[in-house]
Amino acid sequence: MAEFSWDVRSPLDRALVAGQYGAQGDAGVSLTEIRNFDLVQVIVRRGKAADTAQAAKARFGVATPETPKAVQTTDATLIWSGPDQFFVLSKDGKHGTEALAQPFASSASLSDQSHARVLISISGARARTMLAKLSSIDLHHDAFALGAAAATSMDHTSVTLWRGNDRDGLAVFNVLVFATFAESLWHTILDSAAEYGVAISHSEELA
Amino acid sequence: MRITCPFCGERELGEFTYLGDAKPVRPVAGASEGEVFDYVYLRDNIAGVMSENWYHGGGCRAWLKVTRNTLTHEISAVEPAAGVGAAKVGA
Amino acid sequence: MAGNQKNRLTSGGLIDRSASLNFRFDGKSFSGFQGDTLASALVASGVKLVGRSFKYHRPRGILTASSEEPNALVELRTGARREPNTKATTAELYEGLEAASQNRWPSLRHDVMSVNQLFAPIFVAGFYYKTFMWPAKFWEAIYEPAIRRAAGLGRAAGTADPDHYDKAWAHCDVLIAGSGPAGLAAALGAGRSGARVILCEEDFTAGGRLLSDGGMIDGLPAADWLSRTLAELAAMPDVRIMTRTTLFGVYDGGTYGAIERVNDHLPVPPEHQVRQRLWRIVAKRSIVAAGAIERPIVFAGNDTPGVMMASAMRTYVTRYAATPAKRVALFTNNEDGWRTVETALGAGLQIAAVVDARPDVSPAHRSLASKNGFTVLHGSVSGVDGGKDGVRKISVSLTGGARAEVEADGLAISGGWNPTVGLTSYHRGRPKWRDDIAAFVPDGAPPGMVAAGAANGAFGLGACLREGFEAGTMAARDTGRTGNAGSTPVADDEIFSLAPLWHVAGKGKAFVDQQHDVTASDIELAQREGFESVEHLKRYTTLGMATDQGKTSNVAGLAIMAAVSGRTIPETGTTIYRPPYVPVAIGAFAGHHRDETFHATRLTPSHHWAAEQGAIFVDTGLWKRAQWYPRAGEKDWLESVTREVKAVRSGVGFCDVSTLGKIDVHGPDAGAFLDRVYINTFSSLAVGKARYGLMLREDGIVYDDGTTSRLAEDHYFLTATTAKAGLVMQHLEFCRQVLFPELDVQLTSVSDQWAQFSIAGPKTRDLLKEIVDPAEDLSNEGFPFMGAREVALRGGIRARLFRISFSGEMAFEISVPARYGEAMARNLMLAGRQFGVTPYGTEALGVMRIEKGHIAGPELSGTTTAADLGLGKMMSTKKDFIGRVMAGREALVAPDRQVVVGIKATDKARRLRSGAHIIPKGQTPGPGNDQGYITSVCFSPTLDQWIGLALVQRGRERIGEIVHAHDPLRGEDYDVELCNPVFYDPDGGRQRG
Repeated sequence: MAEFSWDVRSPLDRALVAGQYGAQGDAGVSLTEIRNFDLVQVIVRRGKAADTAQAAKARFGVATPETPKAVQTTDATLIWSGPDQFFVLSKDGKHGTEALAQPFASSASLSDQSHARVLISISGARARTMLAKLSSIDLHHDAFALGAAAATSMDHTSVTLWRGNDRDGLAVFNVLVFATFAESLWHTILDSAAEYGVAISHSEELA
Repeated sequence: MRITCPFCGERELGEFTYLGDAKPVRPVAGASEGEVFDYVYLRDNIAGVMSENWYHGGGCRAWLKVTRNTLTHEISAVEPAAGVGAAKVGA
Repeated sequence: MAGNQKNRLTSGGLIDRSASLNFRFDGKSFSGFQGDTLASALVASGVKLVGRSFKYHRPRGILTASSEEPNALVELRTGARREPNTKATTAELYEGLEAASQNRWPSLRHDVMSVNQLFAPIFVAGFYYKTFMWPAKFWEAIYEPAIRRAAGLGRAAGTADPDHYDKAWAHCDVLIAGSGPAGLAAALGAGRSGARVILCEEDFTAGGRLLSDGGMIDGLPAADWLSRTLAELAAMPDVRIMTRTTLFGVYDGGTYGAIERVNDHLPVPPEHQVRQRLWRIVAKRSIVAAGAIERPIVFAGNDTPGVMMASAMRTYVTRYAATPAKRVALFTNNEDGWRTVETALGAGLQIAAVVDARPDVSPAHRSLASKNGFTVLHGSVSGVDGGKDGVRKISVSLTGGARAEVEADGLAISGGWNPTVGLTSYHRGRPKWRDDIAAFVPDGAPPGMVAAGAANGAFGLGACLREGFEAGTMAARDTGRTGNAGSTPVADDEIFSLAPLWHVAGKGKAFVDQQHDVTASDIELAQREGFESVEHLKRYTTLGMATDQGKTSNVAGLAIMAAVSGRTIPETGTTIYRPPYVPVAIGAFAGHHRDETFHATRLTPSHHWAAEQGAIFVDTGLWKRAQWYPRAGEKDWLESVTREVKAVRSGVGFCDVSTLGKIDVHGPDAGAFLDRVYINTFSSLAVGKARYGLMLREDGIVYDDGTTSRLAEDHYFLTATTAKAGLVMQHLEFCRQVLFPELDVQLTSVSDQWAQFSIAGPKTRDLLKEIVDPAEDLSNEGFPFMGAREVALRGGIRARLFRISFSGEMAFEISVPARYGEAMARNLMLAGRQFGVTPYGTEALGVMRIEKGHIAGPELSGTTTAADLGLGKMMSTKKDFIGRVMAGREALVAPDRQVVVGIKATDKARRLRSGAHIIPKGQTPGPGNDQGYITSVCFSPTLDQWIGLALVQRGRERIGEIVHAHDPLRGEDYDVELCNPVFYDPDGGRQRG
């Protein structure tokens, strides 16, 4: 009998080269791929808004986001993804599809997206300048405040974008992109960021 | 042109897909062939204000009914399609 | 002073004399300074001749100092970066710049084509429509190629552009076009109020006319006020001044287009940087402070090198410390032209005379003339004596009839100023005429936009500042910004006095549009021939259609048309204004969407593994799919694909089919929903089973197909074709949200969540037993055909297994969460090694499905019905579904429709090609007997010949008939036999075993 190993490989496994990229000097943009997370698409069933909200409150301690926002709890982030739907982002199976099946039974439909997306965290002094090349939405700190989220497109590719907590006094933008588009979008991000200098890494930590 | 999605806010045109006149209503089962013909093929083409189906495919994927002036591109109203927001039905 | 800059003043100007630059023009070396344009450096070196005109190849010089320049167009840079039709007046000088004049051979001074001037009487407006008509056959062979060679000005580089371009978005409260006094005052008003401001300035330095005309603002010299203002604006974090950026378009919804020439001022962009960037700006309000363009007067010889706009002459003197002439004459119809006299005198130049078309000049100007020893002549310039070496003498028609001649080596002209109304008119606006300034001004504007300053017809410096400041403050208030704007900058207004003069009658060519060589007599000819409408005037004469879009000629042209057609100027009107305001490189519109990055690329989960195996990839929409996996020694794709098919049909192989659309359909009404969109019933599908489904369009034509499985009571897993995946999702959401809102169903795209492989061949079960947990029952009874459920794999992960077969062999599809995709490919190779497992690509996949008569993309042509595809029996009669009624239309159920059949060549060695048309044997091919066409072909290793599927009229009734395949595209004709489309295992025993 053969030995089968089932190692996971990020869609950016080949394309992501950790280290410095682009212009020399202090990197204006930092890119971090966050790997191996649990992501569940929750879509509320007909007439079940109240039931779902109750289940979420009980499970996460926060209300479900009803407008484009990302709400962070100790071990999960709830991200609005459209009318009557949101993502649950967590780690280590804590709030994966299996764990959420019972709490949301009959109130919402769940679809596992843990492998369907790649998560890229973008920060740095020139992050907004770089993102302006890819995103048509207004990311000014007044227009896109802490916790703001958006279902939008970058370079014609659908993404979910939200602003997490600032790091070193600078805004942090988190981008979920479909896995099969990830490498292509990654190269476009690198091209857009190269002139500002880029610091590239990957992490297993949800910030 | 920009469209204000009731859920996402104002967005650029590239996030949306246009389907067409929102006025025709799909005939119920049992309708005459003539009614179905009209539904499939007849469309108004108004030089002025029209109600249109648009899909926010590059955003929240909601279908929207947009009231737009086809001459000036001025959009006077954007409503979600009937089936959007079903979670709150009966609330 | 570096080089021989014989016309450079020893002091003054905004140039950096410590930074000397060398450049070449037409192969000759010159020098200039940082801060020069190519034009100002040429002026400083005494160069007067810079080009040859489009039609007549007349010698031409520099007319202006800005972006409205019609004549001084050069090829800038060499090699792959060579850019034609670049305005020397805006090209920033840099070390090593190379430029060449255009449209001349063999040289600028001695241009053979200037002989065209002899044919001038033939080359009048509209001559294209009157000549080259006969004989008709000469057009394609002789006339057109000759015209093409003669047409155009500069030459495109002809090789790929090595530079990069990108695109970006920007958002602001207030967008301002122009950084002259009005624009800067607007920026102060808006910025101080707390608004987010973007100001676009086409020049490389902010300041507009302040850089050339000076003045006093708030008690300061203009230059000091300018630097103080720029410093104040630079300190505002939400105010952004973008120089080298032209606002070129106004679109709907408060969106604007601008082009930023990021690195055009350098020979090569720095590493990682782009040459130009296209901006899409979203602004709540906008202010057009784009100033005005000085207009010439039309008279014979007005295109002679050395004739220059009066304001340009003072720009060269003041801003660039370069003197275009030593002895200057001025021809003006207004007060403003006289400022050039004052500037020239201040630089130590001689004034030959002032020809003023007005009846009177001010006492101050009379005394200026007498103090400096020059004459004031009342009348008009009627001719210029000069040529490629410049102006020598001008002829003057005095009021009252007498004539005079003035010797001068430069003629400054001013016919007044035209407000820059383009941006305000881009939404089908038309400007309105104001008699008091004899100019067009904006009449309304796109929503949210106002004009301010000279662009609005307010020419005084004080008025520009006031209007700009008020516009900026009001725009800020409108967007909710209520900070303290302070007080408006203050300056005096210059005197305005003008006597309209458009055209001086006289002998010799008087040019209106210099870039397209359109003369006053061309306009008169157009009127005589009935082309009086201003839109006809434009197309018939090509007035205003060159790269400068008539910025120095449109108004004069329509004024002349008004005069000869007995109308007023407002009655004659203007043509429609359209963006872009300046030419914009197509590369900038493309951004990085070119070559390999033309569109996004989607990669399957096993892509890199397949690449490591040496797979050849094919583009399928956005996807890269492994097409075949060549082995060493194989001579071509056919050999590789044939091997793959044989290996699958005799052993086992696997193929990555992750590209198919995959959608989770959840909810209590999931089954009912699928019943509405598929022609067959899914609400009755048992949990753990898969079923092939067909979707129609509402008009009854087949839309897409796929296999949908029921994984739980309220959970279906739907697949769609690769090509239609996105559209099917959109269609299903339309059904859910618009058509059937009462159903409780939820849809999620899971195409990217799963890595899916098809495993096929008689040894499939053997392979699966190696990889699937031994507790799972994979026998025919334990996992029957069309079963679908989750299974455990050896090593701990779970997979989904579907017993479906596209190839016709015993087959399963196995899917795992996508990040295990690469591991799956490796493990399938491991598990199947002892069985000779073979990875196969889309070509082999295609061969096997054709052998089995399975329809795919080529048969889902958008014209075929379910019955055409042999699937008519799938249509339920018990439920309503999309397309049901229309599918029953007379024409769609007619017995003579083209239906799917198999075809094979009667000559076994014959290669078939799809697209060939089916004609009854023995008949001559024509549209009347065209009975269908071949949709899919392949070489079948199983039958050892080429086979295919075709849509043929009444095909199913004609099995066995020999017909004719006619392929006019490839010039082939051959016989084929119509046969059962299921070439292989027609009973289906192999896949059901």
